[in-house]
Amino acid sequence: MTSFTVSSSRTATRVAGTLLLAMLLLALLAIPWLTGFSTQRLLVEAMTMFVIALAWNLLAGFGGLIAIGQHAFIGVGAYSLFFLSNSLDCAPWLLLPLATLSALAFALLSAWPMFRLSGPYFAVGTWVLAEMLRIAAQNTDVLGAGSGLSLDAMNNIDRWTRNAGSYWAALALCISAVVVARMTLRGRIGLALMSVRDSEVAATACGVSVRKAKLWIWLIAAAMTGTAGALAYINTLQVTPDASFSLNWTAAAIFIAVLGGIGTLEGPFLGTLLYFFLRESFSAYGAWYFIGLGSLAIFAMLFSPGGAWAPIKRRWDWDPLGLRRLMPTDATPTLSLKTGEAPPNMARPPQRTQ
Amino acid sequence: MIVWIETFINGITLGALYGLFGLGLSLSLGVMRMINIAHGDLIVLGAYLASIVMAALHCGPFTSLLIVLPVMFCIGWLLQRCLLNFVVGLDPLAPLLLTFGLSIVLQNLLQEIFTADTRSLPSGDISLAGLQLGGVSLGLLPVLTTVISVLVFAAVSLLLSRTSVGRQARAVADDLSTARLVGIDGHRFFALVTGFIMVAVSLASVLYGIRAPFSPTSGPERLLYSFEAVVLGGLGNVWGTLLGGMAIGIAQLMGAKVNASLGPFFGHLVFLVALIVRPQGLFSRAKS
Repeated sequence: MTSFTVSSSRTATRVAGTLLLAMLLLALLAIPWLTGFSTQRLLVEAMTMFVIALAWNLLAGFGGLIAIGQHAFIGVGAYSLFFLSNSLDCAPWLLLPLATLSALAFALLSAWPMFRLSGPYFAVGTWVLAEMLRIAAQNTDVLGAGSGLSLDAMNNIDRWTRNAGSYWAALALCISAVVVARMTLRGRIGLALMSVRDSEVAATACGVSVRKAKLWIWLIAAAMTGTAGALAYINTLQVTPDASFSLNWTAAAIFIAVLGGIGTLEGPFLGTLLYFFLRESFSAYGAWYFIGLGSLAIFAMLFSPGGAWAPIKRRWDWDPLGLRRLMPTDATPTLSLKTGEAPPNMARPPQRTQ
Repeated sequence: MIVWIETFINGITLGALYGLFGLGLSLSLGVMRMINIAHGDLIVLGAYLASIVMAALHCGPFTSLLIVLPVMFCIGWLLQRCLLNFVVGLDPLAPLLLTFGLSIVLQNLLQEIFTADTRSLPSGDISLAGLQLGGVSLGLLPVLTTVISVLVFAAVSLLLSRTSVGRQARAVADDLSTARLVGIDGHRFFALVTGFIMVAVSLASVLYGIRAPFSPTSGPERLLYSFEAVVLGGLGNVWGTLLGGMAIGIAQLMGAKVNASLGPFFGHLVFLVALIVRPQGLFSRAKS
């Protein structure tokens, strides 16, 4: 069997890109000195929401795991951070890695029953799990039962540091989430997942361990969601069972992914912009805002299943994160067919698998 | 001891209602391979429709079914024809997200029209009547619910095994493309099935509305109970759904006896444990 390299489409614009990115990063780091508290809080909200949507999209768009109960990880992350931070009386941002760890541990545990379900069953099964956690948190006195916990560890930290700290933590989380997602998708797991997405039977036949790849993406998404959830509640200083284990989190993540583009890394970014634009403009309309949002999602599913990113990608053929894999023309594989002729569909010009 | 027997029997009657909730979900999963996330919200919609009809015609909840049943059938038929048929048969993602959006729209529409207040379907004397069986006292209404539920399940399983429509449903469930080859118009048939599902849903809605107060946001919980009934009963097993619902009902009421606010938690717990111990469903002979 001949091997052929699968190359990613990157060109020499890299240097300019790096410079631009560095400048952007500096500007983003300086934001606490340049803007007011409310802007910073909104930014933290948007960035955490972006990470949650990114994680949902990793699961559904790449891993084929549709999790309606993704908000389970938000509550787990937020509660573990609040609990630890209050007991250790420590600045909450420093404990974020522990929130990540507890979300990871919970994900590992929950994979045991959940991975027995697949497709739509998995989707609703995770929701049951989240609902169980909500009831459990409501009835646990150590966690403040129905009224939840407030972040007492923040009491002796001044307001500027509080807001700036959350902002920087959110920025760091955002960047690391994108880096992790990109690395995962460009690496072995990503290749395995994309092959599973294209054809599970063929992927299994090639020796791809579907289960292992799915477990990995489940853990990665859980870690992202848990940390983002913890940070979102550091931002509000109060966590309650009904708010943190609320379907609204997953609903927002789904809207963002559907509007932006499922199965892309750029989609959640675009979707977050769209979502927050819609929310800031129309949320005053209450129920009608949600009716509009729901209808928009239905329309998007019917008429542009690729979300807002799909037309952009079609029009400009753009792949800023370098996820697409191209099959080189000269590497027509002969495979091990005795006839020596490659199957006709292998000889086609560069073909995108994503 | 009597208390526990009573709880157990009440669990069965509550579970019969959950089974009826699950019946529609079981049919749509079996025949169309899709899960309708708005299923619970459609149950609530049925209950609201019944309450409108009852207020307009000054009739009882069961009489209101004469109007609610055909209306819900039409809603189901239209829903499938105008919306769901575009995504059915694709990967699980598209129907799931579409019905998820639908669920949000329905919940908020109900809230806009009927406000967020809870209401229930007044059923007069029947809700107070009771039976005495060897020292165990039972409400007449829960017993009636169970009888109706069992009858509906019997009717559906007869429909599936004996009639031409049932044969078509089983053919489509087994292999849609082959069923098309022998002359079943998939999309038209799906609309019919969803119409029937809505008929089962409206029966469940009325029984639910008499038994417990509902509000526009009660939908998701109904969906979860229906779902658990279907999975516990074993996929593709109609009677299993009824038994699965009963298992959840018993677990909830027994749990509520231990700690009043933990009832639903125990229902979910039984579901999770059953998943680990018997992933193919409690009442299914087939190995998954």
